[in-house]
Amino acid sequence: MIPVLKRLAANKTALTGAIISVLVAFAVIFGPMISPYDGDAMDVMAMLAPPSLAHPFGTDTMGRDVLTRVLYGARLSLLISISGVGIAAVLGSMIGLFIAYRPGFVSNVLMKASDLLFSFPSFVLALFLMVVLGYGVFNVALAIALIYLPIFVRLARNLAQLIVMEPWVQAAKLFGQPTHSILLRELLPNAVSPLLVQATIGVAFGIVIEAGVSFLGLGVQPPAPSLGLVMSDGREYFNTAPWVLTMTGLAISIALLGLNLLGDGLRDLTDPKLKERLS
Amino acid sequence: MAFALLRHAVMRSAGVMILALMGAAVVFFAMRAAPGDPALTALGEGASTETIAAFRARWNLDEPLIVQFGLWVANALRGDFGQSLSIASGTDVYTLLADRLPNTLFIGVYAIILAVLISLVAGTAAALNRGGIIDTVATSIAAAGISMPDFWIGYVLIYAFALGLGWFPAYGFISPVESLGGSLLSGFLPALAIAAPMAASFTRILRSALIDNAHRDHVRVARSLGHGPSFIFLHHVLRNALIPFVTVIGLQVRYLLGGTVVIERIFGINGVGSLMIDAAFGRDYPIIQACALTFLLIVLLVNIVVDLICTMLNPRMR
Repeated sequence: MIPVLKRLAANKTALTGAIISVLVAFAVIFGPMISPYDGDAMDVMAMLAPPSLAHPFGTDTMGRDVLTRVLYGARLSLLISISGVGIAAVLGSMIGLFIAYRPGFVSNVLMKASDLLFSFPSFVLALFLMVVLGYGVFNVALAIALIYLPIFVRLARNLAQLIVMEPWVQAAKLFGQPTHSILLRELLPNAVSPLLVQATIGVAFGIVIEAGVSFLGLGVQPPAPSLGLVMSDGREYFNTAPWVLTMTGLAISIALLGLNLLGDGLRDLTDPKLKERLS
Repeated sequence: MAFALLRHAVMRSAGVMILALMGAAVVFFAMRAAPGDPALTALGEGASTETIAAFRARWNLDEPLIVQFGLWVANALRGDFGQSLSIASGTDVYTLLADRLPNTLFIGVYAIILAVLISLVAGTAAALNRGGIIDTVATSIAAAGISMPDFWIGYVLIYAFALGLGWFPAYGFISPVESLGGSLLSGFLPALAIAAPMAASFTRILRSALIDNAHRDHVRVARSLGHGPSFIFLHHVLRNALIPFVTVIGLQVRYLLGGTVVIERIFGINGVGSLMIDAAFGRDYPIIQACALTFLLIVLLVNIVVDLICTMLNPRMR
């Protein structure tokens, strides 16, 4: 564990990303407890107050503290994104590894289906799924899962294709190790780091997708707090109080920046091509 | 060469057609599985049994699903996507699409051109100045740009350039059919909002591809043969770096089209994306189906074009 942390600390990109991500995670987990305000408490005396020391992100039309609402919203948005990308990562990786290990009719069908999902513009797919599945927290997560599924299928397949012909995999096969065990014990450990990198970046874009559909009113429905909903509120009085929308978006951007930098840095650390070039 | 290219194109098109048909099937059957009765959506809850029966007969809703699908595909191939049920009651979906598709395509192409121009300049400058100030600034801005939701960039641009400086209109779009100049001006902010995250990712790809290629053996050979640096850059480095660059542009078209959906809504552009959102709120099934399929077909067509460009750039890929 220690050498990994050392290498992480030596990579400036990964380190910056990790610091931002940890700070954001800290804020999201503990922020709502520390905040002196209640996300739903209205304060008519402080309606539409611009950003100040008391309210760093200002307040909205009902005098609610925007920062507190963002922190509460981020909890839900992050939860949605992580569960969606998590489902996609687990299921997609398994399908991808299977396709690489057992080429044939079933694999061809699975790959074609995955290609088809991949051909829909991500946000159009999200919109379409929201109509088919209905709005709500769970269905946004499901939509994110379906958007990311083909990405993990393709990545896992490509990674596994490089190693299926390796002697140790063939040996396991000859010894009669069952398929699921070969996928999990032989193939997965050798493909896991790029998949984790993709998952990190996926969580970042999952947040954008959630924010997007909820912003339009087709995702998470009020009163459940989500980042998209806070921004959607902010849109209505953007001309008089631009800070609600801009500060929320800025907070999202910083969180995404952390996750993206962490993903980029981890990719550099785990990319075998890069290691070759360095050695 | 021409023949091989043609054969390649035909093979690819056949595969794409199969994918398009599968896509149509998924869209159609998923839509049928969605909650809500289209007849009730169109006629309202208080409709009489007779009207509902007449409606169901009119739209073949009583046929088996597979027959309905066949009829829908056959009609769609003739450009008949049915009629709007709720948001523009009775209007042909084809007419709605034909009205709005030029706007979406215009904004999309506009955004791609902006993103390519920005990234060509920024990516090349960063690669040539590797490790220097320009490189640091360009890669930092790119990392930040990739992390900003496009719809938020849209609002920031409105705030700065429309409400603040007043250079561009904050809302509304003049169709390129009416006035090209007007559409270039009114489409600039929305196109830039969509282009910004793309430009960021294009810049990163181009930069790393250029750096990667600059150290290849063939470049060293070209240098030892006495070719000038600009000749080597254009013919040996940039040309090879363009392959991953074009591939990524093709992949990003998915995000671009997704981006247009929200951006059209924010800037009040009458495009396919805003049509789809309106239809989603009104549960206007024929329109949602047609829009989803239109977006799918655009992505598939772009994939063919990107594939052809890559094949032309690198004959070995055939």
